[in-house]
Amino acid sequence: MKIPQEYNDALDGGQKVMYAKDETGHFGTFSYGSKVEEFATKIAVNEYELLKAKCKEDIKNKISSPIKYFMFENRMDESTLASYVDMMKFRVKRHLKYKNFIKLSDKILLRYAKVFNIKLEDLKNFKYE
Amino acid sequence: MNNFSHHQFAHCESGAFSTLITQSGLKLSEPMVFGLASTLSFVYLPIIKLNNLPLVSYREVPKNIVNKLPKLLNIKMVKKHYKTPIKAMEDLDNYLAQGKLVGLQTSVFYLSYFPKDMRFHFNAHNLLVLKKQDEDYLISDPVFDELTLCDYNSLARARFAKGAFAPKGFLYFIKDLPKDINLEPFIKKAIRKNAKKMLSPFPFVGIKGMKTLAKKISKFDSKTPKRYLVNYLTHIVRMQEEIGTGGGGFRYLYAAFLEESYEIIQDERLLKASEILTESGDKLREFALNLVQNCKKIDSFDPKKTSALLIEISQIEKRAFEILKDI
Repeated sequence: MKIPQEYNDALDGGQKVMYAKDETGHFGTFSYGSKVEEFATKIAVNEYELLKAKCKEDIKNKISSPIKYFMFENRMDESTLASYVDMMKFRVKRHLKYKNFIKLSDKILLRYAKVFNIKLEDLKNFKYE
Repeated sequence: MNNFSHHQFAHCESGAFSTLITQSGLKLSEPMVFGLASTLSFVYLPIIKLNNLPLVSYREVPKNIVNKLPKLLNIKMVKKHYKTPIKAMEDLDNYLAQGKLVGLQTSVFYLSYFPKDMRFHFNAHNLLVLKKQDEDYLISDPVFDELTLCDYNSLARARFAKGAFAPKGFLYFIKDLPKDINLEPFIKKAIRKNAKKMLSPFPFVGIKGMKTLAKKISKFDSKTPKRYLVNYLTHIVRMQEEIGTGGGGFRYLYAAFLEESYEIIQDERLLKASEILTESGDKLREFALNLVQNCKKIDSFDPKKTSALLIEISQIEKRAFEILKDI
């Protein structure tokens, strides 16, 4: 089969390497770029954008907490975030809800802020734009 | 470090390990490293979820090579985990100052030189550090085409990423190794072991694992939410192509290993199996293309056709490993 030489935007113009047979019929390494890979990567990247957009609405409507927004911003799921802040997953899940979030102490919020590499203010006064 | 030459590889762990031992005087190619550690696999584990999607893997668990090969080939290595980033970075600096070429396990999310779109919480990346250059680290990343720099903070964070396969600062380098090895017995044993795994009766591993995933795909219907379906199908592609390499790239890598093995053990069966696995690699590329095309026209997705393609691949692989199990 032919080695794909397409531009993969997800690699910022870079290329990866794969093994394939050369003209003498022996294996060697070849650079390649694949639109199939690009498509799959972009779906995964875009999924977080969709989740973020929905989350913004939910924060406005006092359903979700800003922690949830930054979780998606950092491409995390609940389990990953829980291990970063060193809390049980069910506890993190609670913090993703607006009604529980507003009762959180600065101390707890700081643990999240540190993981997201943001300021406490970014969580407390969430900016929609 | 003298005479270091950077190469780009298909896969991070086999690439990093190949470079590490080759620099120390034992020349083993990436396919040879990959094959000797019996790294080819297929795993589908629906109970382990990543972002609500099942674990699908086309090769062995991370650290398979780094843990297995030193024992197998009597390579003396230093391997360390750490509790704190400060100590882990201090030790790294010390080893670099001693002129060591140091391997690290990292997350890709925090590596500043990775393209933004490729930065996910994948914790089983491997890279080599050559030296400290002012405040930055000079890095030979096996999947990049040239040497690159990474700042202290990014590297420290990447070494202490949390979640599945958390690296815990894992660091490794070569202490001593044999310069000349008769590879023949190791190759044969590794191939038989790999074949046994691929032919495992356990329904989530190897050929059976492919069939189980194929069955799962065939059960999607018009009631499955479209967005979930697109995420699911592209997830399979990503596990195969992105975490894997170049369209069933692990199959090509293993086929290359079998071809190289033939030069050492003149057994025609190796070439035959190499051909069959190349065929499987080609089919896996077709499978990935099929998945992506279906995602683009998700309303006309025919799960039965896609499922049949994966079944066909499992049958191709079965042929290869039935030959290899008696090598």
